Amino acid sequence: MRAVKLRKQDLPAFLKCVQSFGELWGPVREKDRQVLKKTDDVNQIDLTTIRTSLPFKKLLFPPRFSMFHFSGNKYTTSLEHLPNRIIFGLHPCDIHALLIMDDFFTRSFDDPYYTERRKKTAIIGFSCIPDEKCFCHATKTDTVEEGFDLFLTDLDDFFLIWVGSSLGDDMTRECPKIIDEGILPEDLKKYVEWRKYRNSQFKMDIDLTSMPEIFDLSYDSVIWEEEGEKCLSCGACTIVCPTCPCYHVYDKIEMGKIEGERMRQWDSCLFKEYSMVAEGHNFRESRAERLKLRFTHKLQAFVGEYGKPACVGCGRCIETCPVDIDIATIVRRLRGEEVKV
Amino acid sequence: MLENQKKDVGLYGFTGCNGDQLTIIHSEDKLLDFWQSVHIKSFSLAKSDNDDSDLDIALVEGSISNQEQAEHMKEIRKRSKKLIAIGNCACYGGVQAMELGSKGWDQRFRKVYGDAFFELRTPIESKPIDVFVDVDFYIPGCPINADQFFYCFAHLIQDHVPTIPDHPVCAECRWRENDCLLLKGILCLGPLTASGCNAVCPSHNLPCLGCWGPVEEANVSSEFNLLKEKGLTQEEIKRRFRMHNGSGIIKPLKKILGVL
Amino acid sequence: MTGLTALKNAYLPESMRLIRRYPLIEGVHFFQVRAVDMTRALSLDYLPGQFMMVSIPGIGEAPFSISSTPSRPGLLEFGIRRVGRVTNAIFQLKENQIIGVRGPYGNGFPVEKIKGNDLIIVMGGLGAIPLRSLLLYALDNRDQFGNIYLLHGAKTPSEMLFREEFLNFRYRDDLTCLLTVDQDDTGKWPCYTGLVTRLFQQLTDIIPQKTYVAVCGPPVMYKFVVAELLKLNIPKHQILMTLERRMKCGVGKCGHCIIGGYIYTCVDGPIFTYWDVIHMKGLI
Repeated sequence: MRAVKLRKQDLPAFLKCVQSFGELWGPVREKDRQVLKKTDDVNQIDLTTIRTSLPFKKLLFPPRFSMFHFSGNKYTTSLEHLPNRIIFGLHPCDIHALLIMDDFFTRSFDDPYYTERRKKTAIIGFSCIPDEKCFCHATKTDTVEEGFDLFLTDLDDFFLIWVGSSLGDDMTRECPKIIDEGILPEDLKKYVEWRKYRNSQFKMDIDLTSMPEIFDLSYDSVIWEEEGEKCLSCGACTIVCPTCPCYHVYDKIEMGKIEGERMRQWDSCLFKEYSMVAEGHNFRESRAERLKLRFTHKLQAFVGEYGKPACVGCGRCIETCPVDIDIATIVRRLRGEEVKV
Repeated sequence: MLENQKKDVGLYGFTGCNGDQLTIIHSEDKLLDFWQSVHIKSFSLAKSDNDDSDLDIALVEGSISNQEQAEHMKEIRKRSKKLIAIGNCACYGGVQAMELGSKGWDQRFRKVYGDAFFELRTPIESKPIDVFVDVDFYIPGCPINADQFFYCFAHLIQDHVPTIPDHPVCAECRWRENDCLLLKGILCLGPLTASGCNAVCPSHNLPCLGCWGPVEEANVSSEFNLLKEKGLTQEEIKRRFRMHNGSGIIKPLKKILGVL
Repeated sequence: MTGLTALKNAYLPESMRLIRRYPLIEGVHFFQVRAVDMTRALSLDYLPGQFMMVSIPGIGEAPFSISSTPSRPGLLEFGIRRVGRVTNAIFQLKENQIIGVRGPYGNGFPVEKIKGNDLIIVMGGLGAIPLRSLLLYALDNRDQFGNIYLLHGAKTPSEMLFREEFLNFRYRDDLTCLLTVDQDDTGKWPCYTGLVTRLFQQLTDIIPQKTYVAVCGPPVMYKFVVAELLKLNIPKHQILMTLERRMKCGVGKCGHCIIGGYIYTCVDGPIFTYWDVIHMKGLI
């Protein structure tokens, strides 16, 4: 992979420069959180961001949008006017989630609402030092080899830039004056040391081995009932999860006309209505069953199909759930470790 | 829509602030369509030539707080094919029903009004309209959200049953990427409350007061325990739960607290 | 970004004309539709057991099993029961009206695997709708299948779907057609009375290893039918069942029909084997 260097003080100039490829989106501080926002002022971007409150998915499949317009039986959709976007600051966990979503939305059937937005989106990844909620080392999503156009590793006085795509290559060539092609032996050393330091900073210990078998053997476990009693069914964990793609569809019509929009809106497997079939029968009536579905999907089913969990260790559910039902607590309880209930 | 296909619609207000009818009136961008797509037979807040003819759809806001209103409500029901409750007062009783079911209404009433004699009205404990008549559809809110109302209305006048998702306020609040007030130990009713308001209060750093009424899957006991853990007292939590939830909260509260 | 190319938007319904509709039984109507575009109508291919999404603008979409057979191209047939918002609206439709339909979706019956084997079709109640497709398909390709058995149970004669069509099948000599009703309120029912499971007594010369069974009916039926089939030593992976879930998108994206965390019923089903049912928790 081609790699180049960028001096730290040149980052604003570089981001200014790549804006010729599209709208720049990056993590911006808002009150107590960081939010992925469109920004013209590159100085607004908060490089200390560990996780944005919502992940990139809000840009690739927004919380609510019109799939198509209908007028009687005429259906029209317009996907031509989507903007080109650059998302800056995705960490390795989110890039892994992006790869999972890329696969999900193209397998069996292509979902044009996702793929058309995705085609117009460039990714500039950014390295990070984990906080106490990060566990991407356990999900093996702490490094990336693909899924980005550029990836910046922060090595004190400069950024090492990995070039991951033809578009990324174009970006580096757009501003040749500030891009340094010469990688020196001491740069390599710095990178290795940085990796060592980064790896030493993981604070959360979570063991994800043998999860499929553990789930198989815990199907009737009392843990699901106990966690179900606590679950608020608020759906927050699914909303902030970068690998939760489920949605709900409804029609919105205009007053007095048979004309309107077919809307798509984020849904959650933790909502009761989610598993309802005709005549009101519900296949997952209890909170416990719904929780079990969520965690089985993330940690067992996905492993069976892809050899890795659908959890990328970003820590968003840990940060978000008001009653502490998250990947970490569930995994620990299933493994029989002591967790405060 | 053809003139003879248009539905006859009436709007009525009982005890409440008229905020729901005002929300409709204040939706200037929708008013022309609203008036054009149906025959508005009665809407005393907006026009003067109202009549008491038979209706396809009656929209009712406000709670019932005297005998005369109860009779009027029943009379409207009789001449309406569909009855839609709009706003928290009609759906759950509103703030005036916050003590609903906790007995002692007579006592409270006397404390405020003494032995005053009511010549024109016979006061009763304030209750949501479905205590008196069958309601076909509920559009909650305090006040209703214009987008949600017109979405529902557009479907109802074509004889469709609109779908209002059973999400709590938290869902919309996460979409808007607000700071979670519950995590900060603030008494926020987001997880218990039906969405539709676009999480308007938490978006302004104010806790959810529950004015949309409870969401179907509200886990009242878990929220109760969580708030107690955060250091709030049972009394504080109970008061907040009851504030807007009138008839909607009685059962789950009884379940946790035994007697109220 | 590579590897993703724009394909046809799978979510947009195609215009189809409602050609004919009539009641099958109380509350269940038969709908024949055809793509407005004749070329499309004739080229629309599908498998027995697949379903289509029918769209009513302003109300929404719902999945319906195809009841016709791909061996008779042109018309798509559905048996639809009035149960909810979308079906209420479908029941308002008049012949010649245009509706939105997309599909076909789902895995369908593995007809290529079944070919060369004997086929037992066990249907109860509305299960007749998807299984009629498989039955007609097998009859239309008769030389490619071994013995074919139809076991159909309904509560009463007036509640039997496709009653006249199936009664006529009794006179075919290339099909063993066993029809039963729980109760004969007419006194004129010419076939069996009793539960569908009692018809299994009639199956005497079954060679389990070369027999496929397709079952569809009310949930309560599966348990008893499967018990009979296991008595006959039919291998579990040769017992095929269709399962209902809330399919909203049909293309394995929206998540509502997910089972056991990894099966999207709309793509991986709705046809499963009994082995799948044992193996994958939460299937029924």
